[in-house]
Amino acid sequence: MNTANRYTSFVKQFFLSYGCSIVNDHHSHFTIQLTCEMDEEIMNRPFYWHYMKKMNREGAPMQLTFTDTEQKKNGGIYLHAGTPKLHTLYNTAIQKGRTARLYEVVREISGRNKAMSPWLIVNALLHYRGKKAKDEPISIGINLIHGTMMLGMMDKIQNIDFETKVSDYTFPMSPVISLTSAYKRMERHIETYVSSLDNEWAIDSLHHLEKEKKLLESFYESEDIDLESFTKEREQIDNRYKPYIEMEVINGGLFYISQDTSAQWIYH
Amino acid sequence: MLEIRPDHSFIQTLQENLDHPDKLATWDGFKLAHQAAQFKTVPKFEGLLSLDHLPHVNFMEHQVEAAETVVHQMNGRAILADEVGLGKTLEAGLILKEYMVRGRAKKILILTPASLVNQWIQELNEKFYIQAASPRKKQASWKEWDVTVTSIDMAKRENHREEILSIDYDLIIIDEAHKLKNHKTKNYQFVQSLKKTYCLLLTATPIQNKLSDLFNLVSILKPGYLGNLTDFKKKYQKNAEEEDNIQHIHSLVGHLMIRNRRKDTGLDSSKRKVVNELLSFTEEETAMYQKLEALKANHPSFTWLTLAKELCSSREACYMSLKQLKKNAPEEKAKVYDEYIEAIGQLPHHVKAKKMAELIEKTEEKFIIFTEYRATQFYLQWYLQQHGITSVPFNGKFNKSKRDWMKQLFQNKAQVMVATEAGGEGINLQFCHHMINYDLPWNPMRLEQRIGRIHRFGQEHDVKIYNFAVKDTIEDHIMKMLYEKIEMFKNAVGDLDHILEQIPGGSFDQQIQSILKQSDSQGEVDIKLSNLVSYVEHTVNERRESS
Repeated sequence: MNTANRYTSFVKQFFLSYGCSIVNDHHSHFTIQLTCEMDEEIMNRPFYWHYMKKMNREGAPMQLTFTDTEQKKNGGIYLHAGTPKLHTLYNTAIQKGRTARLYEVVREISGRNKAMSPWLIVNALLHYRGKKAKDEPISIGINLIHGTMMLGMMDKIQNIDFETKVSDYTFPMSPVISLTSAYKRMERHIETYVSSLDNEWAIDSLHHLEKEKKLLESFYESEDIDLESFTKEREQIDNRYKPYIEMEVINGGLFYISQDTSAQWIYH
Repeated sequence: MLEIRPDHSFIQTLQENLDHPDKLATWDGFKLAHQAAQFKTVPKFEGLLSLDHLPHVNFMEHQVEAAETVVHQMNGRAILADEVGLGKTLEAGLILKEYMVRGRAKKILILTPASLVNQWIQELNEKFYIQAASPRKKQASWKEWDVTVTSIDMAKRENHREEILSIDYDLIIIDEAHKLKNHKTKNYQFVQSLKKTYCLLLTATPIQNKLSDLFNLVSILKPGYLGNLTDFKKKYQKNAEEEDNIQHIHSLVGHLMIRNRRKDTGLDSSKRKVVNELLSFTEEETAMYQKLEALKANHPSFTWLTLAKELCSSREACYMSLKQLKKNAPEEKAKVYDEYIEAIGQLPHHVKAKKMAELIEKTEEKFIIFTEYRATQFYLQWYLQQHGITSVPFNGKFNKSKRDWMKQLFQNKAQVMVATEAGGEGINLQFCHHMINYDLPWNPMRLEQRIGRIHRFGQEHDVKIYNFAVKDTIEDHIMKMLYEKIEMFKNAVGDLDHILEQIPGGSFDQQIQSILKQSDSQGEVDIKLSNLVSYVEHTVNERRESS
């Protein structure tokens, strides 16, 4: 799948999931009818909606046309990595999809009740910051009954059906491990993981930091700069070079997963 | 041990939301959030990721390289000193975007001359998808705005100053930074006390007169880097001639400065063709020109030079000055000017105006016409209108919105823009590729600035430039004496502007001004001007031999 299509399917999926409809769908070109809620959320026209509400009127939500080609002839918002509207959608998606409690859909015909294990699943970004910067996505799951930890969790559950209601003939088990302690284990895991990495980038940053600090100190000693700018500059050098990793959780939730399903991960 | 900054808030939010099912996401919503985060991820340390975000902008190689060097080698503090028209603003925008994409810059302050604020905001929005705000007199929310564009004068006002100084900016960009060369000014001190992580200084003329100017710019980026000013002066000022010292400074500064030259970039792919149009006055005009010479006897040479030069431009320009002279003269002498004023009223249309209309009528192409005089500007607009040619005026005194409006009118409706000298800076007109220099400024480099308005990054056509001058007049003289020689030097060395800015005792421009003001006769003007040109020639030759 090329990148343009990745954006297209994300955009369509996004709007469909939040109750909007596709009114026109051509090859490389489609139009979305927004709902009032979505219009208010992403179109950035607060005055219009404020006015409509005040007048007790319904308001007309807008339509948006997207395209995955640069050709301007049909108009529409060209979808590429930098499209501002796309970034609005990212932020809206992240904000709306931050937490969940979901149950695996199980079609049980034997009539016997099936136990569903609780998992804490967390998706996060590790922001590597120093002289240079990058991110690493990470997805961890911990079984809250026996503490098994799994990595690459999102990939594993991507194609499983989940619902917000528990399926018939299944029952969710109560967690033995609390969310907080499971989360702490994840943090510890990240520490171990990070220290196992080749951290050349951090060493390089530290090296640079020391070099700049020494240089600055020598300027101060030879009275080329005064104390005030020394202190300020010292802080700014830290800002620029000091290496650290910031963990930012994107989303996470409590997932109830059948043992048949999780058994496949553990034994494969 | 590497510091890890944990996310403390999340697990609490999850616990709270589990008690409020309406705050929980569906499986689709959860997956979408995860996917959105994947899209936003910065996958690697290297390269310029912002390029993928800006497929609609065709960056030139030297611009991409500059941005990469600043981000990855200079670590975000640099002087961008490309020659005029090579797209420093685009380089700065690209660097800014890169830091934003990589999550390193959120609070950004851009300081630029007031006349360029709108242009910056527009370019950031259209080319970089960055929404920037600009404060009005009373209304400003420095803390809330992430990206702010304003002038130093606005920023250092009492009601803004403290708040701005209290903010930790991730990135500060200072346009036209050469204006900060003097460390004693309030502007310099203000800039020096801003809190910043990354910092870009944009200037086309990094070394205007003195090495200490450069020292002061470097001190904004890296205090102490070149020692302190007193020692620096002691060490280099006296021995500024010594090649070793200069080399040393240049190698130090090289780690902080990027300077692309026109000749090193692909920009010359759009060529400029310069045509010197030497026109002849009509009989009546020649008579008038000769008549003016009588004024030489009992006026300072400057007066005659001015009037003669004005007559080469338009009757109107000359008329305005004569009226002014009359007004300022004591009553008994005021009458002297009447005959000149009378005579000038009898003149037919100016030979240059006719030539101009001829050139423009031949084609549908857009033209920008530069004149030094407001009176000529009015006359030309009227004259064009008489010939059914649409035109818009432009001058530096227009406020921001009027400038923008005139530019738009020129782009979409009018064939011609008639601009005065003051309109030379701060407007980009790449959509136009014909220029008429209707009269010639004394300083040939001023012409360079004018040409830079249209022959710059983004120009796709060859640029055609007509320089108008009238034969056997002061203009002819300027052309032979200054333009042709300087043009020759320009071909010999690339960085002529650099040499012209470094003449001892003031820049080329300042030199010319003082020669004109302080000479008693035209002979003296000539001698001094030719000395000045010889000095430039000498420097040029020296430069060639040493390189």
